[in-house]
Amino acid sequence: MAFAPMGPEASFFKVLDQHRAFLLADLRRVGEETPRGGTRPYFSTEVLAAIENIIQDIIASLARNEAPAFTIDNRSSWENIKFEDSVGLQMVSQCTTRKIKSDSPKSVQNFALILKILSMVYKLVQSNTYATKRDIYYTDIQLFGNQTVVDNIINDISCMLKVPRRSLHILSTSKGLIAGNLSYIEEDGTRVNCTGCSTVSTTDALTGCIKYLITDAKFLLIVEKDATFQRLLDDNFCSKISPCIMVTGKGVPDLNTRLLVKKLWDLFHIPVFTLVDADPHGIEIMCIYKYGSLSMSFEAHNLTVPAIRWLGLLPSDIKRLNIPKNTLIPLTKRDQMKLDSILKRPYITCQPFWRKEMEVMADSKMKAEIQALTFISSDYLSKVYLPNKLKFGGWI
Amino acid sequence: MEGTALAVCEILRYLIIHWKCETAGLPKGALLEGELVISTEALNSEHQANALHCVTTIASAGSHCDGFVLKNFLKEIQSILPGLSAKLMWTLEETSSSPNTSGVSPFQMIFEVDEKPRTLMTDCLAIKNFLHKITMVHPKIRFHFSVKVNGTLSEEIFGAENEPILNQPNGIALVVNYQRYVSRPKFGVTELLCGRIHPVPGQPVTLSIPDDVAAVGLLGELILTPAAALCPCPKAFSNQMNRISSVSVFLYGPSGLPLILPSREQPTTVFADISCFIDWKKYHLCVVPNLDSNLDRDWVLPDVSYRVESCDGDQSQIIDPQGHTLLLFLFVDFHSGFPVQQMELWGVYALLTTHLNAILLESHRVVQDSVRIAVDQALEQHHQVAKAHQKLQASHAVAVNSIMSVVVGSTNSTFRKMCLQAFQAADTREFGTKLHKAFNEITQHRFLHCLGGVKQLPPEKHDVAQNTEDACESCSPEHLPGEVFALRVSPGLSWGGVQVKTVTSAFHCPTAFFHSSVPLGFSGFLVPLWAFWDSSRHPSQKLL
Repeated sequence: MAFAPMGPEASFFKVLDQHRAFLLADLRRVGEETPRGGTRPYFSTEVLAAIENIIQDIIASLARNEAPAFTIDNRSSWENIKFEDSVGLQMVSQCTTRKIKSDSPKSVQNFALILKILSMVYKLVQSNTYATKRDIYYTDIQLFGNQTVVDNIINDISCMLKVPRRSLHILSTSKGLIAGNLSYIEEDGTRVNCTGCSTVSTTDALTGCIKYLITDAKFLLIVEKDATFQRLLDDNFCSKISPCIMVTGKGVPDLNTRLLVKKLWDLFHIPVFTLVDADPHGIEIMCIYKYGSLSMSFEAHNLTVPAIRWLGLLPSDIKRLNIPKNTLIPLTKRDQMKLDSILKRPYITCQPFWRKEMEVMADSKMKAEIQALTFISSDYLSKVYLPNKLKFGGWI
Repeated sequence: MEGTALAVCEILRYLIIHWKCETAGLPKGALLEGELVISTEALNSEHQANALHCVTTIASAGSHCDGFVLKNFLKEIQSILPGLSAKLMWTLEETSSSPNTSGVSPFQMIFEVDEKPRTLMTDCLAIKNFLHKITMVHPKIRFHFSVKVNGTLSEEIFGAENEPILNQPNGIALVVNYQRYVSRPKFGVTELLCGRIHPVPGQPVTLSIPDDVAAVGLLGELILTPAAALCPCPKAFSNQMNRISSVSVFLYGPSGLPLILPSREQPTTVFADISCFIDWKKYHLCVVPNLDSNLDRDWVLPDVSYRVESCDGDQSQIIDPQGHTLLLFLFVDFHSGFPVQQMELWGVYALLTTHLNAILLESHRVVQDSVRIAVDQALEQHHQVAKAHQKLQASHAVAVNSIMSVVVGSTNSTFRKMCLQAFQAADTREFGTKLHKAFNEITQHRFLHCLGGVKQLPPEKHDVAQNTEDACESCSPEHLPGEVFALRVSPGLSWGGVQVKTVTSAFHCPTAFFHSSVPLGFSGFLVPLWAFWDSSRHPSQKLL
């Protein structure tokens, strides 16, 4: 891409290129045929038919004087999750379910809300319009109670119909940002360029409106926090280590951000690295990008990037770099519990180096934010730490 | 109340206390069993104009009767019934030895009195109500009550052997068949899905006996145990009724006997304003005493009754009488068991009744707290049920609208057609109506399933002989409303010039206990007294 500013010399990216080659070879070995451009789109007629089938079943139950009920997969239960190295966390085919009954005071409200949202989805798909989850909530605040209820029901519907949420014409407001060597063309022909100091919201990726993504980035860096992301932008990191792409989900990533990362991997197979705090929360966020989340495991194939590598901040970096002890923070009880929980997860068994890093953290009982590097020098992160890590393969 | 009713009630009290003392060794909660026959024969008096000479016999089989105790009882009862210008006799059928030996031997007590026909009728209704109240807590005591006026007989059996009962923590059983407590026609069979009440016991509290009451001989430690329930059961009432329209209070003394004998006057002034024990405002209820003391009905008349009125100050607006009734049972008993002498216990009743007002007020605070806990829980259940019902209804409305939105908005004609066909609806409007109804029905179906179903009670029939067979076929022992058999006295018949209305209850008797005989020109049946003797029954069940 001629528009990209000049970065380091080509030898800088030698290890990165080798890593990419390794990833491509791995893909070929697995025999994965990743459809370029994303997963199969669901046609509107399919979605409408699926909803009509549900309505018909309900009516048939009522006609038999039987109380209709929804059978929902228990999305957030570990007993329904299996781990595959090539995919991440995904739901088992025969999973436990729960019934949402229409004749029980405990569940009737949920039953009604599911029907309500199904009818709204039906209208959206029929009219080929879109709404965000927030829009849906605001249609009747009293009825829904809170946003979380709406979010959960939408995910349940997506899982029940086996249809991605975007095919339900429901968007989520994205909070993610992207910057770097990437350009694309919107539906109306507008060309968007993410280079320089500009950042773009990751919302557009969900709608499928963007086309012709173009990049020659050598890597994609996922940054946990917006503060770190902004700091790197201020330090002109994307130009200095160009060509590259930076993404942040501002903490736990929303669906759009995850979809975009997945899309970029599927299209370009460029190495993806994460830059997270050396604490259990950061590690968990990294695992979400790489292996997926419990609640969205039913859409794992569309969201996970198992090829992601942990670039930093590694717990072992703390000692190696002599990060001042007064910048470290003791692990709280909650941190300890989260760390223990992560260590027990199925994917950690195939990540011995990650396990070792987490054991270092557990032994030291200390955590550190990326910002701790600023105690070495203010631009240590963008000038020394990241460039060295990328040049010499300091990822695991 | 005077005359026959008072005498009968006092004698019954005595007998039951006697039985209770005899069975004192049985475990707490064991039900008292026995049978009593009360029969009154009235003929036109030869000595008084417009009066009936009434001979009342109370008989019991299988009772241990000590002749000496009985004689003392006769003295006592005559002393407390000075107004009873009657001859009181007793006979003890000797089986083998002298009356002074104890043994299983039947006994009879007979007294005579002259009464006006209207007084006799009132007394009979009062006795009937008293028997109702006894069987509420002594379901296995059976009473055969018959009245014969100038040759015309009317009979009724009181008992609750096969009715559902609840054994309370205080050892007293309580019949929980809702039909005991409210008018049955008020609630259609199709609407009522639970035939029981669910009493909530309160915390037993010790009552302090004021010094002046102790001075007259009421000694010992009294315990009050309240229990509250809504009738009918709010859990399974399928329509939208969730109002409380009346309050009924029942008072029981030691041995589980009604504390208050029927009277035209209010039993005790403390209940003139029950708000001193219950804060009705908390439940958004305005209660006023219900002065309707009409005994002529199928369900029991409480000791104290209140009706709920609108709280907005409009006294003319009375709450729809179709609402629930809050039942409050107050059981007063001795803490250390029965007094040694059964006569003392019998005498206690008179003292308790006279001084109940003072005793309850003396322990006003603890009584209030205990009653409040029971009422709170009973009403909380009602509140929860009403809330659940509202939740179901509101959610079903959302479900219906959502389904309608899809069906009406669909362009898939096959889908629309199948939806309409499922409910055999001609158009979407009719479909919507039927859809809503279908949701309501599944809620009812759920209650039926959860409660194990309630047998459809056979329709009320007055022509008993024709329907005994039907009743037998459709009733099972678990759901039998009670073996109360009734004959209706023809409205055309008169007792000394007074029209007699139906004296009996509407329950069905499944047992072919009585033989029908040739009607005497009116719609009732005449059943001779010898019909009590049914050789097909177990010999121990013979009464005379």
